[in-house]
This record gives sequence, C-alpha cells and structure tokens, in this order.
Amino acid sequence: MHIMEGFLPWPWAAFWWLLALPCLAAGVYQLNKVLKADREALPLLGVTGGFVFILSSLKLPSVTGSCSHPTGTGLPAICFGPWITSVICAIVLLFQALFLAHGGLSTMGANIISMGVLGPLVGWGIYRALRDTRVSMFLTVFLVCAFADLFTYVVTSLELALAYPAEVGGVGSSFVVFMGIFAITQIPLAIVESFVLVLVFKYIVQLRPGILVRLNVFSEDKIMAARRDI
Amino acid sequence: MLRRYRFEILAIVAILVFCALFLYTSARMGHAEFAGSDDLGSKQISKITGIPEEEFHPLVWQWVPPSGEIESALFALQAAIGGIIVGWIFGYWKGLKGREPG
Repeated sequence: MHIMEGFLPWPWAAFWWLLALPCLAAGVYQLNKVLKADREALPLLGVTGGFVFILSSLKLPSVTGSCSHPTGTGLPAICFGPWITSVICAIVLLFQALFLAHGGLSTMGANIISMGVLGPLVGWGIYRALRDTRVSMFLTVFLVCAFADLFTYVVTSLELALAYPAEVGGVGSSFVVFMGIFAITQIPLAIVESFVLVLVFKYIVQLRPGILVRLNVFSEDKIMAARRDI
Repeated sequence: MLRRYRFEILAIVAILVFCALFLYTSARMGHAEFAGSDDLGSKQISKITGIPEEEFHPLVWQWVPPSGEIESALFALQAAIGGIIVGWIFGYWKGLKGREPG
C-alpha cells in the first residue's frame, strides 16, 4: 500500500497530508487522555501497536504472483479507535520512509490516510455496528481486522486512480486496474492476518480482561462469557 | 479440549493453507516473480502516464538502502522491534497474573 516517494504529484501529496494532519492531531490528543486515565492502557497500546510493526514488515507472497504485506491495524482500531491507530501507523510509515525507502515523506500523508485512517475507520465502523449485538466477540475481531487490512489497499488504489486517471475511462478504469494490483493480492493476506490477530486477542482476553472492560472495548458480560469459553 | 484451542488450530490451519497456496501458485505460474505490489503500482503509473519509472524523482530527498541485503536487514529490525515490545508486554502480563488472584 506504500505509494513510493515521487509517485504522487505534489498537489495530491499536499492534499493527503492536509487530510492526515488533523487525524494525527486528534490521535495524539486522545492518546494523552487515554494514557493519563489508565496506566494499563500503555501495555495494551504496545501489544496492538507492536503487531502493526511486525505484520507490516512481512512481505508475503499471494495468489497473484506478487507480494504484499498485512497491516495489523484492526486490533488498535478496536481498542483505541482510528485516530490513535493513525499515530501508530505514522510511526511505522516514518521508519519505513526513512530507513527502507518504502513510501516516502511526501507520499506519507496519502499512506497515513490509507493505512492509518480510512482502513481502520472502516474496521472501527464494523466493530461499532457489531459490538452490542449477539455476534461473537472473536468473529467481530476477525471481520474488523480483515476489512481494515483490505480497505487500506482499496484506498491506495483510489488515491492512485485519482492522481493518474486512465486516458480511456478516467478515474474509474484506473481504479479497477490498481485494485487488480493491490486489493486482489491482499485478500488471502487479510484472511490469514485476521486468524492470527483473533488469536492475539484471545490471549489479551485471557491475561488482561480488566483493561478491555475499563476501556469499554466490549461489554463486561461479553468478555467474561468469552473467558469461560477459552 | 479441542474447543479450548480452536483459535490456535484455526490460525495454524490458515497459515498452512496460505503456504500451500503459495506453493501451488509458484508451481503453476512459472513466470511469477513475486515482486512487491508497491513496485507493480509504480510500474502501472508509468504505463498510464507514459513516463518511464526512472523519471519520477523524489519530491523530498530520500535515503535508499544500497542493496537488497541491507534493506532486508532493516525490515528484520522493524519486525524485531515489534516482536520485542509484544513479547515483553505479554511476559509482563503473564508475570502479573501469577502474582495477583483472578
């Protein structure tokens, strides 16, 4: 999902940066508040953010004969919401732009929007829709992680299509082509990632259910019922 | 017993299926290069615009790892940082759980 340095014309690069900055500001503000309110939130932030670091460094082969990497943004989106997730992603993307030439400083705004904001936002929307229903907690986590990952690549395709509309068919046909490169490759990766993150969430529920209850990630009843079942 | 470990089993099965899928893909598509989708995206941009990839210049100066080896070392470093944080916190939580009841 990284748009390489120099591959976005500067007006688009600036536009995505302008969108990304308020999201980051909201994230930093919320982060301060959450960490001040509860000291136990920091380890949870570390675990969920740590997996973003690990998963986004793994470039995995896919059925399309190309490689891509998972994002891991579903868990922080569930626990802390999309704005704080965007801060975690900004740190990862900065590391990759500075040391790996993966993405770049000018395209970082666009990459923060896809990986850190819109992907997690879709995941968070699914989470909010399912949280208070009878849908199993683990199924909710699975769906959120899968769609946060997949939608990140849909947004990347859209960002590139907007900047580079095809001569015939314009943005629409460009979008379809970029979706073929990014989103199709991502489907199997998103599924495997989600199975792994459900497992991680199980361990968090087992070891530290209290913080999930205090942050109101899921209702106490749901968490305690799940604990008896694992 | 099986139910208790259902998520472990599901994760392992998913990873195995993923590996099998990779073996199948690489056997069937003899020409598959398994290049990064990011690079394929850049190639597609150069195809749409008709401008060769080399002529896209960074807007902001960027350090590029001099070789694939150095790049993969830095990627491993990124994964290691994440792994240390995750392992350290899970260990901390496990230690807490042993000491306090519930």
